[in-house]
Amino acid sequence: MTDRLNQYLDGVFAPYEGTRSITELKADLLADLQERYRELRAEGKDEATAFELTVDSIGDIEETVQEVTNLSRTLERQVVTRFDASALEGSDFAGVSARSGRFGSSALRGSDFSNADLAGSRFKSSDLKDTSFDGANLTDAVLTTAELKGSTFRRARLVRTDFSMSGLHEVRFEDVALTDVAFRQTDLKRTVFARCTFTGVDFSQSDLRGLTFDGETFTGVKFDQAGLEGVSLRGAILRDCSFRGGWSKKYYKALRTVNFDGARLDKLTYAALKGLGFTPANVIVE
Amino acid sequence: MSTSKITSDLLRGNTDTMILRLLMEADRYGYEIVKLIAERSQGEYELKEATMYSSVRRLEADGDITWYWGDESQGGRRKYFKITDKGRATYAHNKTTWEYAKRVLDTLL
Repeated sequence: MTDRLNQYLDGVFAPYEGTRSITELKADLLADLQERYRELRAEGKDEATAFELTVDSIGDIEETVQEVTNLSRTLERQVVTRFDASALEGSDFAGVSARSGRFGSSALRGSDFSNADLAGSRFKSSDLKDTSFDGANLTDAVLTTAELKGSTFRRARLVRTDFSMSGLHEVRFEDVALTDVAFRQTDLKRTVFARCTFTGVDFSQSDLRGLTFDGETFTGVKFDQAGLEGVSLRGAILRDCSFRGGWSKKYYKALRTVNFDGARLDKLTYAALKGLGFTPANVIVE
Repeated sequence: MSTSKITSDLLRGNTDTMILRLLMEADRYGYEIVKLIAERSQGEYELKEATMYSSVRRLEADGDITWYWGDESQGGRRKYFKITDKGRATYAHNKTTWEYAKRVLDTLL
């Protein structure tokens, strides 16, 4: 029966494997569930009842997983900041050309990279709070697991730029054409996207809850397993977009809270949504 | 919204403080925490494992609690949670805040 509990948890945690904090959560949970199951059996409950009661005691694990992942990333970022020299804080890099620059694990808080050419540069795990990338060229740049809180990307050139797992609270993307940009497993709840277009952007497993994308254009964008509760896509244009929720019932439930009023969907996207048992109202299919 | 939903939200909002309270008395492991909460509320409130671990991870990140492995002789090892001095201060603060809110609500409801 312990095997059955283990298998059950394997299924629940399958999409999150490989993250240390989540593996630990799973182990802690399994220990608790095994003990509860043993106690229920000792009280005389039959195997099926004991299993059901045990599994029922878990509650909303998806939300916990989401919170724990966000929490542990914040921690990782803090560690990085603490280890690194502060010599570069508030630096002026405006207009510089630093193609394929290496800025990994650096403290660059408050720096100015406006109009800089940073194609292919790496900023992995850096502290980039309140940094300006306005008008910068970030083609093929890597900004994963970085802290970017309060930074701005107005009219920046973002092609194949990778922001996965970075902290993007209060980050502003304005007048940007995002092309093949990756935001995988990223908390975007408090990120601002104004007057942007999204082509081939990957939002897989990201937290987009409550975001407003009214009137913006999405082509070939992946919303797979993303947190979509309360997302507003009013008057947006969606072409060839993918909404895959995998095993998660919650994903499909959240999808129903997305506001598609006046949105224009191509037949493929519309059919994909309908295939998930969800027919968006007040949309134009073309 | 049903009465039970409101009650449950109100209770869940105080999970951190409930856990800190239990850890003020002794170091405890995960299942022990949910079990004690069910017992002490005489089954009126069932703290879910997921809610408990959200709380525990948050408290850890905030430095209110730490953990260590227990040395159980039989069965799997248990992870014990322990309150820190900061956690004690957080508990005192939350408790005062609650007493205050309760007083105000009592005059209003």
